[in-house]
Amino acid sequence: MFGLHPVAFWISAGIVAVLALTPLIFLALERAGKLSPALRTDLWTRYKSWLFLAPLMIAPLLIHRLTAIIGVGILSLLCYREFARATGLFRHRAISAVVALGILLLTCAAADHWYGFFVALSSLTISLLVIVALFADQPQGYIQRVALGVLAFSFFGVCLGHYGYFANDKAGQAFLLAILLCVELNDVFAYCTGKLFGRRKLAPQTSPNKTIGGAIGAAILTSALFATLVHQIVDGTALDRHWHLLALGILLSLTGQFGDLVMSSIKRDLGVKDLGATIPGHGGLLDRFDSLIFVGPAMFHYIGYFLGVGLDQPVRIFTGP
Amino acid sequence: MDEWQYKPAGDHGLKPEESLRSLRREAGLVATLTQSAWRLAVRAYLRGYHRLRVEGAEHLPKQPPFVMVANHSSHLDAITLAAALPWRLRQSAFPIAAGDVFFETPAVALFSAMMLNALPMWRKSCGPHAMKQLRERLLGDPAIFVLFPEGTRSRDGRLGRFKPGLGMLVAAAAVPVVPCYLHGAFAACPPDKKLPRPKPLLLRIGAPLQFAGVNNERAGWQEIAGRLETAVAALRDSSPS
Repeated sequence: MFGLHPVAFWISAGIVAVLALTPLIFLALERAGKLSPALRTDLWTRYKSWLFLAPLMIAPLLIHRLTAIIGVGILSLLCYREFARATGLFRHRAISAVVALGILLLTCAAADHWYGFFVALSSLTISLLVIVALFADQPQGYIQRVALGVLAFSFFGVCLGHYGYFANDKAGQAFLLAILLCVELNDVFAYCTGKLFGRRKLAPQTSPNKTIGGAIGAAILTSALFATLVHQIVDGTALDRHWHLLALGILLSLTGQFGDLVMSSIKRDLGVKDLGATIPGHGGLLDRFDSLIFVGPAMFHYIGYFLGVGLDQPVRIFTGP
Repeated sequence: MDEWQYKPAGDHGLKPEESLRSLRREAGLVATLTQSAWRLAVRAYLRGYHRLRVEGAEHLPKQPPFVMVANHSSHLDAITLAAALPWRLRQSAFPIAAGDVFFETPAVALFSAMMLNALPMWRKSCGPHAMKQLRERLLGDPAIFVLFPEGTRSRDGRLGRFKPGLGMLVAAAAVPVVPCYLHGAFAACPPDKKLPRPKPLLLRIGAPLQFAGVNNERAGWQEIAGRLETAVAALRDSSPS
C-alpha cells in the first residue's frame, strides 16, 4: 500500500490514529474531573513531544532505505553526545572524534549494504580509539577514558547501528516499525501493569519506581503484540512458529527493560536525574531511547539466524565492483 | 588507581537555548570544529583586510588563567584579541560579550556560542552572582577571558573610564591581567558604520599585572580598574616600535 510493506502501513496508520485520538481522551478525563492540574500539564507536554517525535521516527523509515539508515546514524550521534556530556568524556576530544568517526563509518557500511565492513568496524574502531588515546601521553585516567569511549561506541555505534543495517532487508521497514512500536509500548505496559499489580520492587536501588508486577505484565502484553505483528511479517517462513514468535516477543520485552535499567544505573552512578533536556517532558534523547539499545542486536541476530537480513538485496551498492 | 570521577558538562541538564547563554557552557566536538574554522577565517581576514600587526605577544602568559583587557571601539576588538592568542590556547579563551547584544535572540546566541565562544554579561542585571560565576569559571577551568572594562564601545574613539566590575574577577587571585591597546579599530569599524573599512590594525600587548595582593572589596576593585586604565593608556601613548 503506497509502496509500503502492508504491516508498516497498518502500524503507521495505527500510530496516526492513536495520536489523533489522544487529545479526545485527555478532554474526556478532564470532563470527568480525573486530572489534577500538574498531571494535566505533564500529559500535554509529553503528548506534544510525541507529536514531533513520532513523525521524526517514522517518516525516515517509510521514505527510503537510506533515509532510515541516515536517521539511525543521526540518532546514534545525538545519543553519544548526551552520554559524552553527562560522563565528561566529551572533554577528551580525540576519543570523542574516534567514536563519532566509528558511528559515521557504521552508517556508511549500512548504507553500502556491506556486512563485512559493518562487523569489522567494531574491532577496528576500538583499536583506533585506544591507540589515539595514547597521544595525550597522560596515563592517569587512561583506563577510564578509553573504557567510557569503548562502552559508548558499543552502545550507540554498534548496538544502535543494527537498526540502520536492518533497513537493508525487504521487510526491514516493517520489522523496524514493529520493534519501535513494541519497545515504546513495553514502557507504557510496564508502567500501567506496575500501577495495577506492582507490589514488590524490581531493583529499588537502580530504579525505585519499577516493580516485578510491571516487568511481568509488560513481558506478557508486549510479547503478545510483537508476536502478532511478526507473524504478519514472516508469514509462512521458518520463523512463523509459535515458539519462535513467543521467544522473539519475550526477548524484545526483556532486552527493552534491561536497556532501561542499564541507563538508570548509569544515571545513578553519575548522580544526574536526566541525561539531557532535549525533549520537553521526557528529558534527554537517551532517557527516551534507552530501551532500544539492546533490542536491535537481539532482534537482528535472531531473525538473521533463521531468515537472514537483506539476503535477496544487492550488496556493496556504492563500493562494489 | 584513583577512584573514578565523572564530571558532567557544566551546562548539563539545561535546555539547548539556556545552555547557549549559560556561563558554565562547555564546547563539545561540534563547537570545537566551528570555533576552529571561525578562528582560521578571522585570522586570514584580519591579516589580509586589516594588515593586523601584533606587538608584545611575548607578554602573553603561557598557561591559563589570565585576562586580556583592552580599549573598546568596534566589533573587531574581541575577535582580534582572541586571534592574537596561540592556537593551543584557543579552546580556553572566552570573550565576555554584552548579553543584550550577543545573546538576545536564539540565532545570535548560537553564533556567539558556536563561533566566538563568548560568555554573556548582562549589563542591566549583572549582579554579584554572575560575577562570582565568572570568577569561578576563570579560576576553575582555568580559562582566559577577553574583556573590555569600559563596558561599551567608545562613540568617539577615545578611551573611556574603566568600570570596577572587572576587579571582582581578579582581586586577591593569582591571575595575571594583560593590558592591550588596539590601534585603528575605531577608524576601521566605528559603532555607527555597518561594514568595516580596510584600515590597518595594530595590537599592542603590555606586560601582565598581578592583583593577588589587592583586597577583594570595592576599594580594591576600584584600584584595579584605575591601574589597568593607566596601563592601557600607556600602551596607547607609547611610541611605535
